[in-house]
Amino acid sequence: MDRSLGKNLSRRQFIKGVAATAAIPLMDGLPFYGSLARASSDADLVIAQNGSPTKLLQAVMVPMGGMERFVKKGQRVVIKANIAWARTPEQACTNNPELLFALIRMCYEAGAKRVAVWDHTCDNYQFAFARSGLKEAGQKAGADVLSGHGRNVYKQVDIPKAKKLKTAEVLKDVLETDVFINFPIPKHHFATELTLGMKNLMGIVWDMEIMHKIDLHQCIADINTLRKPDLVVVDAIRILTTNGPKGPGKTEDPNQVIVSTDIVSADAYSATFFKNPKTNKPFKPEEVRFVKLAHEMGLGEIDLGKIRVKKVSAT
Amino acid sequence: MIRILPFLRRVAQSLSFLFLLYLVIKTAFPLEIKIPVDLYLRLDPFIAIISTLTHKGLIERMLPAFGVLLLVMIFGNFFCGWFCPMGAVIDFFDRILFREKKRTKPFDDQPLRRFRFGLFIFSVIAGLMAFQVMYLLDPISLITRTLIIAFYPPAIYVFNHLLPQVQSLLPKNPFIVSSIPLPVFKVNLFIFLFFIAILVLGVVRRRFWCRYLCPLGTLFSVFSRFRFLKRSVTDECTSCQKCVKECPVGAIPEKAPQTYRHPDCISCFNCLECPPRAVSFGWERPGWKTESRVNLSRRYVVGSIAFGCFSALMIKTNPLQSESGLKNNRLIRPPGALPEAEFVAVCTGCGECLKVCPNNGLQSTFLEAGLAGLYTPRLIPRIGYCEEFCNFCGRVCPTEAIRPLSVEEKRLIQIGVAHIDKTRCIAWDTDKICLVCNEQCSYHAIVGDEKKRPIVKEEKCTGCGICENKCPVDGESAIIVYSSGVQKKLKPENSNNNKSS
Repeated sequence: MDRSLGKNLSRRQFIKGVAATAAIPLMDGLPFYGSLARASSDADLVIAQNGSPTKLLQAVMVPMGGMERFVKKGQRVVIKANIAWARTPEQACTNNPELLFALIRMCYEAGAKRVAVWDHTCDNYQFAFARSGLKEAGQKAGADVLSGHGRNVYKQVDIPKAKKLKTAEVLKDVLETDVFINFPIPKHHFATELTLGMKNLMGIVWDMEIMHKIDLHQCIADINTLRKPDLVVVDAIRILTTNGPKGPGKTEDPNQVIVSTDIVSADAYSATFFKNPKTNKPFKPEEVRFVKLAHEMGLGEIDLGKIRVKKVSAT
Repeated sequence: MIRILPFLRRVAQSLSFLFLLYLVIKTAFPLEIKIPVDLYLRLDPFIAIISTLTHKGLIERMLPAFGVLLLVMIFGNFFCGWFCPMGAVIDFFDRILFREKKRTKPFDDQPLRRFRFGLFIFSVIAGLMAFQVMYLLDPISLITRTLIIAFYPPAIYVFNHLLPQVQSLLPKNPFIVSSIPLPVFKVNLFIFLFFIAILVLGVVRRRFWCRYLCPLGTLFSVFSRFRFLKRSVTDECTSCQKCVKECPVGAIPEKAPQTYRHPDCISCFNCLECPPRAVSFGWERPGWKTESRVNLSRRYVVGSIAFGCFSALMIKTNPLQSESGLKNNRLIRPPGALPEAEFVAVCTGCGECLKVCPNNGLQSTFLEAGLAGLYTPRLIPRIGYCEEFCNFCGRVCPTEAIRPLSVEEKRLIQIGVAHIDKTRCIAWDTDKICLVCNEQCSYHAIVGDEKKRPIVKEEKCTGCGICENKCPVDGESAIIVYSSGVQKKLKPENSNNNKSS
C-alpha cells in the first residue's frame, strides 16, 4: 500500500508535501486562538438573574454584544449540550430544555444556517435524549440533536498543546464548524469535585474512559486546548449539588445564566455555587484541579477579581 | 379465480413475511407500536400449548394462538401455506434454487412421515420434562431468532458501511450522523447454519422441513383431521399426475390422485389447476378416516417416548442443570425472568428480547445454561448493560418467561451484585482518580471512600452492569456482576433525595 503510494507520487506533489510539513512549526508561533480577535464588549463575564430561562438568555446576551457578535449570517453552529444522562429536566443532571430552545432560536435569529446540538451520552442515547426532553426541545427549535454514539462522526487529531492527552478522536463537527458554543450545566461530581464547562467537553471525545486511566484532571484541561469555544453559556438555572454527575441528588435553584468567551472564568465563577465539603465554604476556583491546570496552561483567567463581571437582571 | 389463487397465495406469503420483518424492525426503542411486536409468536398454537403446560398456568399473551387452532380445525391447515413466514421463505428458496431439480423419481416417504410423528412425540415429551428441544424447531420462534441473530447485525453492518458512500454522493451534508450501533451476537453462526441447512433440505423434496420436521406443522396436521373444508375429485380425473407433482407437501398419492391425505394438506389450492377441472374444494362432514395413514406402530410410539424421557433425564443429571450441580454465577437473566428451571422451560428462545435490548446487553446463550437453556437470553454486561428506565424485554416476551414489569418495579429487581477486583481497579491499584463506576451507577450503589476508591453497597446494587460495562480497565472489567441466583426485590429507596433543598 505504502509502496504503491510512493510510486505514484509526482515530484510536484512531493515538493508541496515537504513545503507544507516545513511550514507547520512556523505556525506554532501564531496566536493560539487567532479566530478570537473580535469586537470586544464591556464585560468578560455576564451573569443574568431573576426570570424565565428565555428572558435570562436574552438579558445576558445584551452586554456581550448580542448573539450577532458570535454568529454571522450563514454560519454553522454546534452546541455542545449536556444530555449525558437519562434523567428528567427537574433532576438537573442535564440542560434545561427551555434554555436550549431559546439558545437555538437565538442562533437562528442571528442568521445561523444550521444549528446542531451534540453530545456523546453516558447512558443510552435514546433514553437520555428522550427523558431529558432535550431532543424534543432542540428539534422544536429547528436544530439537529445528534448523538456521538458512532465512531464514524469522530476524527483522530493531535492535541499539540496537551501535556498528557496528546491525541484523541474528537467530533468532526466540533472541529469543522464555524461557531462552537459550549453549553454546560454545573454539577457536583464525585471524582473531580465538580462538573463545569471544561468537563462538558469530555463529551466531544470518543474514548472518555481512557482519560480516567491517564489523569482525568489533566486530560480535561488538555482537551480544552483543542478548540476554544466561541461562547460559553452556563446553564445554572437549577444545579445538582449532591450525587453528581448522574444524580438524582439534591438540587438548588440559582436561576442564573452565565455567559463568557473565557471558559476558565466561566468555570471559576460557576464553581462558587457549590460548597466544598472539606472547607465547608464555597469552592475557590483553584480547588478544582482541572480549572487550576487550565489556568496554568494559559487557557484563561481564573482570578475572579481580574475579570470584568457584569450582573444583569432579566426582569 | 383458479388461476389467480397461486398468485394470491404468493402475495399473502410475501406480505406475511414482510409484516414479520416490519415487526422485528419495530422491536426497538421507543416501542410505541400499537400491534404487539411478538404477534406471530402469540399466534403460534404449538408454543401456546407447550409453554402453558411447562408454565403450569395460562399465559394471557398466548391465548390468541388457541383461536388459530380453532380455525385450523374448521378450515384445515391454511396457516402453513398462506401465512407461515418460515414457509414463505422455504417456498421462495425452493422456487429460486431448486426449481430445475427433477423430482419425478418415486419416493417412498412413509418412513419420513413416521419420523415426523416420532420427532414430535420425542420433542414434546422431552420438552415437558426438561429438554426444550421443540422450541428450537418451532418455525415461528426459529425464523424470528434467525432474523434477529443471524440477519439483523449484518444488515446494520452493511447499512453503516453504505451510508458514508451514499452521503459522499449527496451535495455536501454539513452534519454527519452517527452510524447505528452494531448489534453483536455470539451464537450467530450456529443459527445461520441451522437455517441454511433447513433451506438446503429443499433439494430432496419441496418443503422438506414443513412436511417431515416442523412440529407446528405436525400439530396442525393432527388438528386439521376434522377439517370441514375438503377436496373432492369428480370422475373426470384422468390420473394425469399434475396435482401429484404440484402438491408442495406430497399429500396426494401417485396411485390414487382422486384421494388425498387431508391432514397433511396445507390448503394451497395448487391442485385446483387441474386440466379436466375435476378438483374442487367444498364443505364436507368431518371424519377421522384418512387415506394411507402413517403406520405409527406401538413400538415406534413407545420408542419415541422412551427416547424423550431418557434425553430429559440426561439433562436432569447433567451438572449444569441439576439442582446440586455447578452454578454459573455469570449467568445473569434479564430482570423479571422466572426462576431458572422454570425460565428455561418457558423461554422459546425467539430472540425478541435480544432485539429490543437497547444496549445489546442481552445475548443468546450457547451451552452456558446447559443444553436445556440453549438460545435463552442472558445479560453480558461487558457487551451492554441493563438500561435503568427500560422494561422492554418483559414487554416483548411472548410466553412471559420474562414477566412484564413496570419501569418502577424493574428498577427494584436485583439480577446480580457487582464485585470489585481490587487488584485490577485503577483507583484501588494506583492512586489515580477514576470512579467511573460510581459516576455511572444509577442506583447510588457504588460510593467512594475517603481516597476516592469505589465500594459496592450490595443492598442497593441491582446488578444492571453499567459499572462493568463502562470500567476503563482493558479487557475484562475490574468490577464484575455476579448473578444472585434468585432475583430479589430490593427495598424502594426513599424519594427524599429527589426533592430540592
